[in-house]
Amino acid sequence: MSVVTSPAPTVGAPAATSAGAPGAPAAAGASTPSAPVRRRGGWKRPARVILSVIVIFAVWAIASTQFPSYILPSPLDVWDQFLSAVGRGVWVEEILATVQHLLAAFGLVIVIGLPLGILIGRSKIAEDLARVPMIFLQTVPTIVLIALALVIMGVSDTAVIGVTVAGSISYFLINVIQGTRSIDPDLTEMSRAYQASEGSIMRSVVLPSVVPYLLAGARITLGVAWQITLFSEYLMGTAGVGFQVNTSIKLLDTAAVFMWGLSIVALTLLVEYGIFRPVERLLTRHVKGRS
Amino acid sequence: MTITADTGAATAAPMVGFRGVGKTYPKQALPVLEGIDLELREGEVVALIGPSGCGKSTLLNILAGLTDVSTGTVDLARSDLRSAYVFQNPRLLPWRTVLKNVEFALEQIGVPAEERRRRALAALETVHLGEHVDKFPNQLSGGMQQRAALARGIAIEPTLLLLDEPLGALDALTRSYLQEELLRIIAELKTTTLLVTHDIDEAILLADRVVVLSSRPARIREIFEVPFGAARSLDTIIGDPRFGALRHEIRELLRPEVAA
Repeated sequence: MSVVTSPAPTVGAPAATSAGAPGAPAAAGASTPSAPVRRRGGWKRPARVILSVIVIFAVWAIASTQFPSYILPSPLDVWDQFLSAVGRGVWVEEILATVQHLLAAFGLVIVIGLPLGILIGRSKIAEDLARVPMIFLQTVPTIVLIALALVIMGVSDTAVIGVTVAGSISYFLINVIQGTRSIDPDLTEMSRAYQASEGSIMRSVVLPSVVPYLLAGARITLGVAWQITLFSEYLMGTAGVGFQVNTSIKLLDTAAVFMWGLSIVALTLLVEYGIFRPVERLLTRHVKGRS
Repeated sequence: MTITADTGAATAAPMVGFRGVGKTYPKQALPVLEGIDLELREGEVVALIGPSGCGKSTLLNILAGLTDVSTGTVDLARSDLRSAYVFQNPRLLPWRTVLKNVEFALEQIGVPAEERRRRALAALETVHLGEHVDKFPNQLSGGMQQRAALARGIAIEPTLLLLDEPLGALDALTRSYLQEELLRIIAELKTTTLLVTHDIDEAILLADRVVVLSSRPARIREIFEVPFGAARSLDTIIGDPRFGALRHEIRELLRPEVAA
């Protein structure tokens, strides 16, 4: 695939090639050849990104003509599935169920993980006590957690949330612990010299020091939590996207599986660009503030 | 005391008295301080000069309440002693603006928000940072950051100002201008000041008395009274023969300590 890396002047060529390919749907590449060919430096890189998306959809569309829909549905099949799921109200319902599992688990991870991580980072006793449980949580297979949750809590939202918390909290903890250890002892000493209380040091020195690590940890944790939540839903059969994927594939409704998968991808991107990036910019203003 | 001069400070009441103060850190055989007897009189500026690592900072840390003495006592004349500490590095909170950094010190002593802002702005005005109050520390030069750190100290209206090589990390040019600023600010505030420095000229310029310490364990080698009055400046004292003589004497006293 030299298409993506080749310099701008050749960009028009592969678009023409894909348009001329046998059986290519007209919508795929041919109708937008002029968009990526801007020569201005600032446009080249986004243009390449857009081009890659177009190529992927074109290849998908072409390939789908060679296979039955239950193996490789076409983009259009998947879009129809989406419209139908939205129309029946299933889409919003199932996405909401999954997002509720996810947010409950994510919230618990932060509420438990932030104080616990700071404690472990600041106290050798806590660190020693937490070492084995943390290694356990990092290494125990998610499938075992799910099996145990099924036995203990049965098929329930609580079980999905519990498994997600157990499976993802160590990623958050590790980052918060790192952040706590990164605190500049000079700043703590300065605070003490100005009679700061422990609470004040916590608010004004410890927490702000941990913020960048907290954001990194939250991002990784959320990524892992998506996987575990869907996995749990799939295996436990609670409401949610995971279970929808399970039933769809049993019915050989591959287009629905694609649709749910792409929906999750879209949601993840929305969280990344709609929430994480702006929050990160806001909380780390002082780092980029050079004038 | 080689050079004696009648200064107003000599008759002022004692503020802080070190009586036979010694300090040994845990797990270290060699003490950092030994038998320190020193009185700080109200309103005077005392410079501590001595070789690196000799425990000068430990004396400041004891006064700031950051560490305890191992032997001896520290007498405080007033119970409302409020110390401000300016370190060699600015130690500003990177996520707070300059103004909020100065307010930090005021928050700790419970000053209400409105007054906090007013006093922080006034302190920043004093150190000529009035135009940079809303900047973050990393937007300022090293000298400006150190000014901000000084503003944080003076905003709390301290009764004791502890300066630990406050200009030590700056380049020579910036340092020489900030020495003048420091001289002006200390003179305006009339706060009792304990200044740790490596710079003999700086000690003579800023202080009423210069205390020369030995290498570790630090003992007081000699205390010099600086003969220049309150109206001194680098320009007026540098041509004074007494300046050269004092500087020479301190230098020679320190020579074996530094070589050691």
